Amino acid sequence: MKHLPSCLLMIVTATLVSCGYEQKPAITPSGKTIKVGIIAALSGSDMAKGEEGLKGIKTVIKMQPLLDNGDRIELIVRDGQDDPVKAVKHLQELVETEHVAAVMTFSSSGPVLAMAGIADTLKTPILAARATHPDITKNNGYVSQILFDTIFQGQVAALFVKDELFVDKVAVFKTPSSFYSSSLAAEFEGKFASLGGRITDVIALPDEPTNVGEMLKGVRQNDPELLYLPVAAKGVITIIQEIDRMGWQPYLMGSDGLLATVMSEHKEQLELLEGLLATDFFHHTSRFTSFGLRVRKIYGGKLTSYTVLSAEGFAILLDAMNRCDGAADRECINRQIRSTSNFEGFLGYISIDSDGKANRPLVINAIKDGELKYIVKVY
Amino acid sequence: MTQYVSDALFVHTTDTADLLDRLQNHVSQAAITPVMIDALMADPQKMLTGVDHVVVCGTLETIRAVAKLAARTGFSVGVVPTKTQKELIRFYDLPSNIDAAVDLALRADPMAFDLLLCNGHVALYKVIVGDLPLLDAPVDVGKLGLLETAFRRIYNTRLIKYRFATAGERQIITAASGCMVIHHRRKGKLAALIIKDDDTTAAGSTYAVIAAPTSIVKYLGFLLWRLSTARRIERLPEAIGYLESSVFEIEPEKELDVFIDGEKLTRTPVRCEVKASALRVNLPRTFLKEKASAKPAKERIEIDHLPRGKELLKALKNKRIPFFSYASEERYRELFKVLREDAEINSIYIMLMVLSTMLAAAGLYLNSSSVIIGAMLLAPLMAPIVSFAMGLTRGDVGMIKKSMLKIVIGMAIALLASAFITQLFPDKPVTGEMQARLNPSLLDLAVAIISGIAGAYSKSFKEIIQSLAGVAIAVALVPPLAVAGTGIGRGDFQFFFQAFLLFSTNLVGIIIAAALTFRVLGYSPAIYRKRGLVLVFLLLALIAVPLYTSYERIVDERILEKRWTKERFLVNGKYVIVDNADLRWQGGKKVLIMEVILRDLMTREDMKAFKKKLHIYFPGKMVFRIKTVYIP
Repeated sequence: MKHLPSCLLMIVTATLVSCGYEQKPAITPSGKTIKVGIIAALSGSDMAKGEEGLKGIKTVIKMQPLLDNGDRIELIVRDGQDDPVKAVKHLQELVETEHVAAVMTFSSSGPVLAMAGIADTLKTPILAARATHPDITKNNGYVSQILFDTIFQGQVAALFVKDELFVDKVAVFKTPSSFYSSSLAAEFEGKFASLGGRITDVIALPDEPTNVGEMLKGVRQNDPELLYLPVAAKGVITIIQEIDRMGWQPYLMGSDGLLATVMSEHKEQLELLEGLLATDFFHHTSRFTSFGLRVRKIYGGKLTSYTVLSAEGFAILLDAMNRCDGAADRECINRQIRSTSNFEGFLGYISIDSDGKANRPLVINAIKDGELKYIVKVY
Repeated sequence: MTQYVSDALFVHTTDTADLLDRLQNHVSQAAITPVMIDALMADPQKMLTGVDHVVVCGTLETIRAVAKLAARTGFSVGVVPTKTQKELIRFYDLPSNIDAAVDLALRADPMAFDLLLCNGHVALYKVIVGDLPLLDAPVDVGKLGLLETAFRRIYNTRLIKYRFATAGERQIITAASGCMVIHHRRKGKLAALIIKDDDTTAAGSTYAVIAAPTSIVKYLGFLLWRLSTARRIERLPEAIGYLESSVFEIEPEKELDVFIDGEKLTRTPVRCEVKASALRVNLPRTFLKEKASAKPAKERIEIDHLPRGKELLKALKNKRIPFFSYASEERYRELFKVLREDAEINSIYIMLMVLSTMLAAAGLYLNSSSVIIGAMLLAPLMAPIVSFAMGLTRGDVGMIKKSMLKIVIGMAIALLASAFITQLFPDKPVTGEMQARLNPSLLDLAVAIISGIAGAYSKSFKEIIQSLAGVAIAVALVPPLAVAGTGIGRGDFQFFFQAFLLFSTNLVGIIIAAALTFRVLGYSPAIYRKRGLVLVFLLLALIAVPLYTSYERIVDERILEKRWTKERFLVNGKYVIVDNADLRWQGGKKVLIMEVILRDLMTREDMKAFKKKLHIYFPGKMVFRIKTVYIP
């Protein structure tokens, strides 16, 4: 009788502990290996993005080294250098020589658009983790996007600017050589004009911009309240440096990936970029889902947008493979990717439509006091 | 013009013989005859023949011996203190400068002065028996030093039985840690601040300050008083007794040392006696006035704060001083009488309960906070709850039973009345005021606890009794009961449970807080029963579990509501801004009421797409209700 309270306590504790954990049966290795191809820029100007993406994929493999059927995943990594020609060449080699079950690419819209051109011929599911051009899922049955596309992003940016910043006049900068930049700028312009806003200028910014100061003087004459900048980080920084010199203080808004690039490659410019807004897909101070928390725990360091994106994408791919009887069945994997529903990503649920387009929230962030600040999330 | 004596006997010790030069060279040119104290005591009759004035300088023992001879022979005395006799200097306001002291000692205008004898020993300024935490501390001791002494000494202090007898044959049996007899109220000791109306050198009385710290709380109160003032006080501090008489007999239950002027000279029992105007002493004009009274001095006895009866038994039983104070019923007879009356059921209570519940129910349906506040003020539930708390504190079964019955009857009346009113409403709407009482949390328990403290406190002091109305509003007992009754009327158990949980929270919170407050205020019985306290904590544990869960839920909900104000939706190209979000529970489901702002009209198709989006991103989590506001 003397030990009754201790016994009761132990029973209660044991019950609580057993209720708190959902036991998953252990997976026995099957001895089989399934190859998955990875195409990312591991050299050149986009090298950092590629490397961060690869870290995300490896983190997911650490979390889930075996598929549910016991098959082991083997990564076949190719450096696409963010070049369309190289991307296509690597894709062909991965499918035809390596016989990969699926390909995940961390390339930008240009290379992915090129891969999309031969996707139906290769009949291999391609998961694009970074590319946002709306046409990458068009006219093919095998390329799927993890990110929202530029239509969603451009429209949201225009609506946010008009309805939440109460801005009526905007000047748009775009890089004509970039599919991504051009399509995003076009979407923004169209939506903003339809809301009654005025586009004061559309400036074509070359890859290596020169004479930006003169260009901005002309823009300033039309008195825009905001500059929309769906261009590369270097271009944005050049423009903001000139604006700063001019003593001009319009609102500034960039697009996805800009702030991640600034935080990883241009931290010394944070003071200059104070107040810069950007559409994005992630914010590290948002409330993480249980999936996000697990990735963060295993990853250890501070997560970047690209790590998060690749981890989410690769987890979606593994989830699709687990839902197929044969883990190497390309048709099944493709079908399952395109019927992903309520997959728990980092910040919420992600679904992929049958046409390969992702439904996921977009985040608008800003640089404030040298840190990224989350402003709103748009579904 | 100052008058000096023409001749004087200088009584000294070996150490103070040097003073002779100063005395002989004094401006008075008085004839000084030196004599060693030993020589004087060897044959006082011979030495004192023809002596009218003695100047003494030496140990306290020397001064005491001279004082005793002075009382017998009638010569006047001038005292020249040594540098080390600081307490003597302070007590008698003697000059610390040697020349000034010599000048005073040779003056020819002595004052009549009482002589205090304890067991035959002359006491110059104080007599201490037992332990006197803080009372014997010097007035000018630093606050930090005082705190350090206080905490160190309280652990070693315990009360023992004492008998005090006065000249008027008044016998006082009490428990005390110690006692200090003080010759006159002069600077020096803290105890001297307590002495009243002592402004003469020959009052014929002496003063006893008795220390009886019956609890650490009282001791801390005394410490606080000590730290906040160095002036004389009008009201005796808690834990202190005060006697004024020409004679004291002090007899503790066990024999103790008696310290006279800091020296261990005798043992208890001790008899201290004042010989009125027995001495003529040269004292500075800054000292008390000379006013010899022909009438015997009046006795003064203030022993309200000393333990008596059952309190005395309790005090003697404790090995150490308890943390909280305790009191016998006699001490607070009036308060207990009121609390007993509050525990009785009468027709006024029943009528007020019915009326306040009806008013509350009407206010809830009208969604009118002012009507509900009126019901709170009318509600008579607070009184029996405070009585119940006191019953628990004192282990008074009678008071507990009566007050509990009164509370239960009040609850039953409130539930039935509001259930009945609910039946009168055909559509039984759930108003905002009702909603507000369906989510009790730990914060409500905090409100109840604070209100309980305030309730017990205001009940304890007549001068702030009107504050009970504010307490009643803060804790609001009847409205949650009325909402619970509405739940019964609606046949909705969840509704009833949530509101009743709020009522229970308030009830338990008040009881616990009031019971503890009564304890801190010193209303615990001298003979304490622990069952009441066990019951209080059992109730607290029982109520805390659902409240904690509820509190966590509320915190999560507030975070979620805040987060939702940062959510936006793109629905068929239309931008939907969530401006405000309010999460509620209805029929066991989470309902998020959103106020959204948008530019374009929401068509049926848009709503469908919006709903689809909500289900994709927030599957099965909650029911959404949307209010739309359009941007012009």
